Amino acid sequence: MAQASRLHRAEHRWALAFVAAPVLGFLFFTAYPVGFALYTSLTRWNGLGRMQFVGLDNYVRLFGDQYFWQTLGNTVFYMIGIPVGLALSLLLAIGMNRAIPLRSVLRTVYYIPVISSLAAIAILWQWAYNGDFGLVNQALSLVGIEGPNWLADTTWAKPAIVVMMIWKGLGYSMILYLAAIQSVPRSLYEAAELDGAGAWQKFWTITFPMVRPVTFFLVVTNIIGGSQIFTEINIMTPTGGPEYATASSVFQIWRQAFKYQDMGYGTAMAIMLGVLILVITLVQFQLNRRNSFVID
Amino acid sequence: MRKSRLATGIVAVAVLAGTAACSAGSSTDDDGKLTFMFRGGEDEKAAYQEAIDRFSEETGVEVEVIVTDADQYATKLQAAISGNNVPDVFYIEQASLQSYVTSGVLLDITTYVEDSGVDLDNIWEYGVDSYRFDGKLQGTPDGALYGLPKDVGPFAMGYNKTMLEQEGIELPDEDEPLTWDEWLDILKDVTKDTDGDGELDQWGTGLNVQWNMQGFAWSNGADWTNEDKTQVTVDTPEMAEAMQFVADLTTKHEVSPSAEQAATLDTYQRWMEGELAFFPVGPWDVPVYNELDFEYDLMPFPAGSTGEPATWIGSLGIGVSGTTAMPEEAAKLVTYLSADETAQQTLVDAGIQVPNLKDVATEWAAEEDAEPANRQEFLEIIEEYGRPMPAATTYGAAWYDEMWTNIQPVIDGKQTAAEYLEEVQPRMQQLLDEANTQAEQAAAANAGAEG
Repeated sequence: MAQASRLHRAEHRWALAFVAAPVLGFLFFTAYPVGFALYTSLTRWNGLGRMQFVGLDNYVRLFGDQYFWQTLGNTVFYMIGIPVGLALSLLLAIGMNRAIPLRSVLRTVYYIPVISSLAAIAILWQWAYNGDFGLVNQALSLVGIEGPNWLADTTWAKPAIVVMMIWKGLGYSMILYLAAIQSVPRSLYEAAELDGAGAWQKFWTITFPMVRPVTFFLVVTNIIGGSQIFTEINIMTPTGGPEYATASSVFQIWRQAFKYQDMGYGTAMAIMLGVLILVITLVQFQLNRRNSFVID
Repeated sequence: MRKSRLATGIVAVAVLAGTAACSAGSSTDDDGKLTFMFRGGEDEKAAYQEAIDRFSEETGVEVEVIVTDADQYATKLQAAISGNNVPDVFYIEQASLQSYVTSGVLLDITTYVEDSGVDLDNIWEYGVDSYRFDGKLQGTPDGALYGLPKDVGPFAMGYNKTMLEQEGIELPDEDEPLTWDEWLDILKDVTKDTDGDGELDQWGTGLNVQWNMQGFAWSNGADWTNEDKTQVTVDTPEMAEAMQFVADLTTKHEVSPSAEQAATLDTYQRWMEGELAFFPVGPWDVPVYNELDFEYDLMPFPAGSTGEPATWIGSLGIGVSGTTAMPEEAAKLVTYLSADETAQQTLVDAGIQVPNLKDVATEWAAEEDAEPANRQEFLEIIEEYGRPMPAATTYGAAWYDEMWTNIQPVIDGKQTAAEYLEEVQPRMQQLLDEANTQAEQAAAANAGAEG
């Protein structure tokens, strides 16, 4: 009995120690910074001197700031890459699930961009998009199309970045889809085949609903990640692109906070962005709950 | 199993503790060493290290050097300041001087400099005054001194002597500036297809509106703001004419590589390839340009309606941390780097800057076989016709940057300069107003804190 209680106490201590690590981590590295940011967003502060409380001034200023809206619009634009990317990666995953030659080589090839440094990728694509020497325009010229100077063109700069983002994210989504597809019970397909279902019907009524949780996970994480896009933009278009066409919300936040030393205003923008992401994510969870189903 | 769990726990705690401890620590403690943070390329680093080594030898003060890339410097310095880890001595930009001063980051070094016996009259006024601030205005001759110039950077106009001689064009006069029309005629003359393949491969010039139009505007009687920096005055016919002139060089007169051609090989590269007749030259360009296959020289900027040339002078300063434990030694290092004759000679020999000291500069300009031959032009810019960048003495540059954010349609010839300036003026005005309010509030808040 005594033995058991000593063990119990020891386990208890360990449990507390293990619980303490993440709790402390959360307090120091999440709760405190978020609280500090909330306060900062209500001040005028250049990041060096004293903070001066100004109430909601920064938020009021946001609503009249055309660049806030423009960069938010740009950020939303980048999201059109998400459905396209997911559709492509699902397609790829289905392909990779078949017994095709060199399957593992191909899987690796598609996964390489995921593990590559984002900065390196951004520089590579910047070259690829060069108006005259770029691989992209060289390839286009083979089929007789004269491509624009992608990153310097107000119309094409954003789509160019979207294409790059899709390419970069393909491998990750593909791996998750592949795992999901492989865990779909064979029996479902067999039953469907007995009922005379074709390939398309099997995909649409079995595979697609069965990988739904993965789709949901990818949509949520992609939107959260996509709203914070910065590195690519900063490397490929250091000034925010022609007429600010490529500047994302985070780019604008960074510029206000660090280039113009307007920490208070930059933080207010960051808080707004955070709230927007939260709301979108909550809505998604709500929609997902409404549409979810269980197989007995 | 048990052991490994214990190990994980220890590691986790150690990691947490380690991260927390990292934020402590400071270089401003009295360890008998100065920390000097600056930026620059390899040449600059080597030249400064040499000068600093000599300083340590002479004074017995050890100096720890932190050097960063040019584009990372501002971010790293900001991080160091936020982390209360301010280097004792560091480079300051003209445009951030005011916010640093009002935040107590910079030390008033007026008395230290006076006591050091440095002859301030022998340093370029522009350089010294850029780092004076009287609490309201920056650049006034009687403000307190918060730094000394690391250098001054006069931005001159250069020409490809070899090309002009080949084309049989009279070389530009050193004293009498060309008018815009005269200059344009020369540009038209030299723009041609030299190898007969049907495509232009030699142009008059290749200017970048954002960095090169200031001189044209000022020389045409335009300016960005009124004198006390409260009104944005870019929506004037003089400004529009200057901006249009620069834009037209590409779109209308086609004496400058087109946007597509410039995208292939930018005009800086084309100048170095010898394809352009005229291109601006800063002192920092000189070591590279001296290695080129053609000869070049300096001339006054072509003059607009005022008949006087104009251009900008950059400057970077060296300041002392407001919280340094060794203010005297730190100020000594600043005066040494900025104004010591031997130190200046080291930096000048490295070819990276124009001398800060007037007498050294005069000798330097008069050197025989100097390259470029007309070094005197740099000195004339500093003393006579150069001006600070429009945002050099305002509280932040957001208002000025706004001018360039949406400039593309003007460069492409899709919008006239006049229309564009009309549009952009209110936005710039709003940002300048905000900057001025911020400056006042920051000054008031910090004055209150001290009092």
